Amino acid sequence: MPKILKISFPEKCVGCEMCAIEAQRQLRKIGLDGALIRVFRNTNSKLGNIEYALEIDPRISSLNVDKIQKICPKGVFEVEETD
Amino acid sequence: METRPRKILSIDLTKKEYEVKSFEDLNSYIGGVGLGFKLMEMYYDKNPLIFAVGPLNGLFPFASKTAVVINNDGVIEDIYLGGSISLRIRYAGLDAIVIHGVSREKAILDITNAGVSFKDPSEDPETLGLPGKRSVIKVDGSKILLGGYFTTPEHYLEKEFTDKNISGIVVTGTELINIRDFDKYEDLYKKILNRKDELSVLEGTYPSCSNCPMGCGKSKTGEMGGNVLLHSLVACQYADRIYTDVGVVFSCLNVLGYNYTHEDIESLPKLIEQTLRRIS
Repeated sequence: MPKILKISFPEKCVGCEMCAIEAQRQLRKIGLDGALIRVFRNTNSKLGNIEYALEIDPRISSLNVDKIQKICPKGVFEVEETD
Repeated sequence: METRPRKILSIDLTKKEYEVKSFEDLNSYIGGVGLGFKLMEMYYDKNPLIFAVGPLNGLFPFASKTAVVINNDGVIEDIYLGGSISLRIRYAGLDAIVIHGVSREKAILDITNAGVSFKDPSEDPETLGLPGKRSVIKVDGSKILLGGYFTTPEHYLEKEFTDKNISGIVVTGTELINIRDFDKYEDLYKKILNRKDELSVLEGTYPSCSNCPMGCGKSKTGEMGGNVLLHSLVACQYADRIYTDVGVVFSCLNVLGYNYTHEDIESLPKLIEQTLRRIS
């Protein structure tokens, strides 16, 4: 059954990029070129607050999304099974 | 001794020129503080600001620091900046960035891989480079902040930016690193990541350095001084139980294709001390 990686708690993100790096490793890549997850600092956040935003390429579903969810230290992601 | 050339991006602010130099003879300095001190010796007359990464940056967890070497009125200082910039420099295919001279007008350095654009300070550094692949160091009030959060001890970067007339540095890295035995590398990566509990810092919810899951409260102000092996690699000082273990270090270097010997590692502190003595 296909699985979807969902960004359920973006406010918990600390910007460590472990998820992006894990996804790249699954593609046997070291580096962020062609990364399927991108982590940005949200420059619109309130003064003094550091927040991060994430973008996921739909092709992420071809990877082991459970591993990506698990490597996130803050529980930003949830994995959903689809029909 | 391994013979991998070190790739240095040299930026002349006075002439608004840059070049990438490949040095075959810097292997014994490994990277980070070792490489930074040697580059300080080589560029001493030009009063350089040096950002140097080590062989583990961008490749192993808890190795997220960048050695910043400066000449503070005759005293050579080594400080360590957290955040994402070590990964960006590594993924730019560089071992160090050497910024020298003084810019006539305030300038932002927009670095993408081995290329540099000298931008007007009216531009917003946050719009330069490539999103998701860049690090931005810029003036934020009275401070110089990386990613709006990370800074260096003693405000050394503030002084360097003022003296050199720099108002921002953006580093974007888009290169990929090839590893011959990827399975072995991945296995080692996971083993080291599983040693998270050995770090001498508490996990938190603060902005974290890239490739480090800790989110600790210590990385904000960076580090100063400390173990030269850690700081040549360039690992976090709170991961010292992992990265002062010579077996782990050799495993990491070996899987990355470096061929250092025990003698090379053992002679590193003396080599660094001698280099520092020559320039102090």
